[in-house]
Amino acid sequence: MGERIVITGLGSVSALGVGVAPFRSALLAGTAGIRNLEKIDCSGLRVVIGAQVPHFKAADYLDEALLPYLDRFSQFALIATKEALTDSGLTAGQYATAAAIIGTGCGGKETDEATYSQLYRDGRSRVHPLTIPKGMPSAAASQVSLQMKIKGPVFSVTSACSSSGHAIAQAALMIRHGMVDVAIAGGTDAPFTCGLLKSWDMLRVLSKDTCRPFSKDRSGMVLGEGAGILVLESERHAKARGADIYAELAGFGMSSDAGHITDPSVDGAARTIGLCLQDAQLSPADVQYINAHGTATQANDVTETAAIRKVFKENAASLAVSSTKSMHGHALGAAGGLELVATVLSVKEGFIPPTVNFTEAGDGCDLDYVPNEVRFGSIDVALSNSFAFGGLNAVLAVRAYQ
Amino acid sequence: MSLDIEAVVVSAIATQKQLDTASIKRESRLQDLGVSSLDAITIVYEVEEAFDVEIPNAELEKLETVGDIVDGIGNLLADK
Repeated sequence: MGERIVITGLGSVSALGVGVAPFRSALLAGTAGIRNLEKIDCSGLRVVIGAQVPHFKAADYLDEALLPYLDRFSQFALIATKEALTDSGLTAGQYATAAAIIGTGCGGKETDEATYSQLYRDGRSRVHPLTIPKGMPSAAASQVSLQMKIKGPVFSVTSACSSSGHAIAQAALMIRHGMVDVAIAGGTDAPFTCGLLKSWDMLRVLSKDTCRPFSKDRSGMVLGEGAGILVLESERHAKARGADIYAELAGFGMSSDAGHITDPSVDGAARTIGLCLQDAQLSPADVQYINAHGTATQANDVTETAAIRKVFKENAASLAVSSTKSMHGHALGAAGGLELVATVLSVKEGFIPPTVNFTEAGDGCDLDYVPNEVRFGSIDVALSNSFAFGGLNAVLAVRAYQ
Repeated sequence: MSLDIEAVVVSAIATQKQLDTASIKRESRLQDLGVSSLDAITIVYEVEEAFDVEIPNAELEKLETVGDIVDGIGNLLADK
């Protein structure tokens, strides 16, 4: 089946902080990064909470001379990529021909919206000349290549909330087929713009209080932002250089519902989980933990629960399922990357991050959601689910590395 | 027009290239200041905004020194 794929570096930027260390601490402590929104110029905005990177100042992490060229989504991607590469111990020479596949659901919306505001609100005739290079959806991937001097296959993948999952699967395919030995993969998004907040609000899926996945009184999703980036490597390459290996990326499943533009599907989600198990040559009994898509919308949580039951049958009883979105919010195109970082830490260190804010199980939500308290114990195999708008699904499998 | 054209141009270059304004002279060559074509269109945009003029694309390619931008703006303002 080609090269085995291992994970050798992690990077994260999220509402839980900049870096994997604060992310990990929050997962262990069950601390949520959901707060009142930081200042935003947006009249009549009904959204009051979000999972924003707290008091983020790009200049604390990136060369100030670069900032005029970087939309917030590129800033996040660069910071997380640098962290993941440093963590991997790879030298610049060793990643010079790596792949970099960066998922994004939104692209450089902060840049685009500033330009549209100038044009349509202020009635100006001229717009900023960096609008295109900063705002294009591939800008984050390009900046990762430019700043890190990565010259292998580099591009963006976009599939809404599954963007990271598809990006990681794409990178894994390249390693499996021997095209590259090293790949940087994950996702980034920065959706706290007036236009996006109002647009999400109009879908009537945003919570007004907090994010309570799988609970009876759940009130919708809480938007998040950030980047989750991982370094994937062929096992052969990682072993040859004596790398510290976090875990194996054992396989992945991808499929589409061909159903509805927003409604999720039990069959579609179940089929994707099944494809992932098949690809990783696993049976349902092998899996101990699922990092759920778990958005806390009415539709997702019931559908995802039913899909897990459909695949795992009697094994569902002993399965732990948690949604870390209850802590880092729904970071859209970055969600799958952040959640894979959480899943890898879980397998490597033997803990299951909780679903925080859990009250009592919702109707149709009858799994073990690891309510409110972290749980310790060895995990051999875990899955990370992403089920996006438009029925685009990606599921990743992580196996402990011996 | 009370704005000092040279001061606006120097400030736009200094901001874009993260340079000290004192290091930018009228006779400084844009290439020597590290001004790429993408920098140039950004600097020209700032100056166009400040003076509400439009520098034609053909003129943009001829700019070699800081003084060229200052003179170009001066000419456009004189024609207004």
